[in-house]
Amino acid sequence: MKTTKLSGLALAAGLAAGLMGTTALAEAVTAAPGAEVNAVLLPKFLGILPFDQANRGAQEAAAELGSTGTLEYIGPTPENSAAGQIEMLTTATTQKQHVVMLSNNAGDQIAPTAEAAQAAGTKVVTWDSPIPSGAGETVFIAQVDFGSIGVVMADMAYDLAGGAGEFAVLSASPDASNQNAWIEAMKETLKGDKYKDLKLVDVVYGNDQSEESYNKALGLVDKYPDLKVIMAPTTVGIVAAAKAMQDEAMCEKVKVSGLGLPAEMVSYSLNGCAPQFALWSFVDLGYLTYQASYAIATGAIKGEIGEEFTAGRMGSFTIEEDPGRPGAKRVLMGPFTVYTKDNVEAAAN
Amino acid sequence: MTRFLDGVSPQSLRLVALFVALLATVLFFSTQIDGYLSPRMFNRITTSVAVVLPVAAGQAIVVMTRNIDLSVGSILGIVAYVIGQMLGSFPELHPVLVVAACMGLGAVAGAVNGVLVAWGRVPAIIVTLGTLALFRTFLVEWSDARTITTASLPQWLVDLPQATAFSVAGLDVRVTVLLAVAACLVTGLALARLRWARRFYAVGSNPDAAVMAGINAGFVVFVAFVLSGALAGLSGFIFLAKFGNITVVAGMGFELKSVAAVVVGGVSIMGGSGSMLGVLMGALLVDTIDNSLTRWAVVSEFWRDALLGFLIMAAVTVDTVASRSLARLRAKGRAE
Repeated sequence: MKTTKLSGLALAAGLAAGLMGTTALAEAVTAAPGAEVNAVLLPKFLGILPFDQANRGAQEAAAELGSTGTLEYIGPTPENSAAGQIEMLTTATTQKQHVVMLSNNAGDQIAPTAEAAQAAGTKVVTWDSPIPSGAGETVFIAQVDFGSIGVVMADMAYDLAGGAGEFAVLSASPDASNQNAWIEAMKETLKGDKYKDLKLVDVVYGNDQSEESYNKALGLVDKYPDLKVIMAPTTVGIVAAAKAMQDEAMCEKVKVSGLGLPAEMVSYSLNGCAPQFALWSFVDLGYLTYQASYAIATGAIKGEIGEEFTAGRMGSFTIEEDPGRPGAKRVLMGPFTVYTKDNVEAAAN
Repeated sequence: MTRFLDGVSPQSLRLVALFVALLATVLFFSTQIDGYLSPRMFNRITTSVAVVLPVAAGQAIVVMTRNIDLSVGSILGIVAYVIGQMLGSFPELHPVLVVAACMGLGAVAGAVNGVLVAWGRVPAIIVTLGTLALFRTFLVEWSDARTITTASLPQWLVDLPQATAFSVAGLDVRVTVLLAVAACLVTGLALARLRWARRFYAVGSNPDAAVMAGINAGFVVFVAFVLSGALAGLSGFIFLAKFGNITVVAGMGFELKSVAAVVVGGVSIMGGSGSMLGVLMGALLVDTIDNSLTRWAVVSEFWRDALLGFLIMAAVTVDTVASRSLARLRAKGRAE
């Protein structure tokens, strides 16, 4: 009984939103549950944990909203990531899927395909990693404010280096738009007076492969004997770098930090190789992405700046201009957690 | 001069050329990078070569039979992941059995390639391009997006990459390096000394003649792929020990690394010739260049790959031109 009443209310709210059109509402819009939304969740590639967690969140949201359509979790194999994503987005368009949720690994190369999808009626909602130019993208679900990741990375480097010294970045691939944006944001932060003794000496790329990241980390400590911190804003890179420093018995001298999964980082956090790292919940990111995509696909919201919508257990969110990408729109999730030896074990289980 | 050249085979000349190239590379970078000629750099390069060397040895056998195996990277990935996962459940497994399991699993994957190429009559490049994707997809499905972490591996395996087998003149030779070099040299000895192993060369240099001579060419090609799979499995073991944290992308790109080592090492892509010493030198040269460029401040990240490609091409060109002109010189010497 209670649920019917609730869904009735939701329907009314949805209708109200529809009637009011694009005028920015003070009230959050709740999409009517039970609609047929055929959605595709398209990660950078299959087989690594964060994307799987996002899928869990999306499935949870789909079950809650009672979508009578399908939610497919498909993605390219690792060796075919960029080309595979473009191909799969094209396929989803020809299948007349209502919405594709994309963690972009193809830079702006995917923009024409995304624009074609929009023209054919398939919405493209990005999450985790946006389309840099924003072309062809309805809205980007940002895990955290990209600027604030820059601040956190700069702060962790500052703490671990003791306020002064050299540090380097070990990133994923040179095409990854999220990592590139974070590194840029970090460079901006580093211009601040607080960080004047902190020197970013190099940015290298491990392409999200253990062996390449491991070798690049060793290369960094050989090339810069005074290096104090390796900052790896990628879950694969940070583990590989921590392992490399542990193998070389260099954890006292060079600290590893960045963005990592507690389950994979727990031993390196406890033994002091990676005393601090950060991450947000990928389950929540998937959940919010589906909620937003559902609201957009059902027409409850149009994906315009100023629109506010409710996202189930996570509360309400507003679409705003993306400060990092002029002309593009985002929904900001946040916050992230900084993990240390005190809270990593609890999060790992 | 020419009499001296008469005494050495083209293969040995190639080895000498490779050795000179390696020496030149090391000398050049020692002037460019601080602390280059150090025990530490020796370890960096040797342990890095150890991962690729067994795959390259297997690739060489396949290339000798006038085929190619592009699936070795995926086989390596499957082996590292699946055996790593198994060790989480059975940590007491004896190390020898673990190595055997790695090579066995690799051999099974190699046998799939072998059957399709030898008896399915599908060109090797097509079969192994297919299994490259197929094996990787299997791994993605199998993994359920979980990462193998060092925490779940037995301690002996985690400690193995740091274990030193013996030291020469202050240089530590790691156990994994010894294992990889031993595998390469045993394969080399077998190819040179065993009568049966000569069939790889026979089938590669002239398949029709080999069949006329009563050699079961299909079976020989099959065995080559099985060996390639098994040696990729051995690399998978070393990979697992060295990197510890295994995701589904493990071993991606090793097909190209192995082909580079094989080609630079002087194994003819047309089949029928090549030696394991050459492969060893080839792997060493490619890896030395790669590791040195990573530490060279002059080139940026983005130019490194291009430069590596250029240097490999240069090495192959110099090698081809040199061995051709040496052969001509020798022919002239004989004529006189």
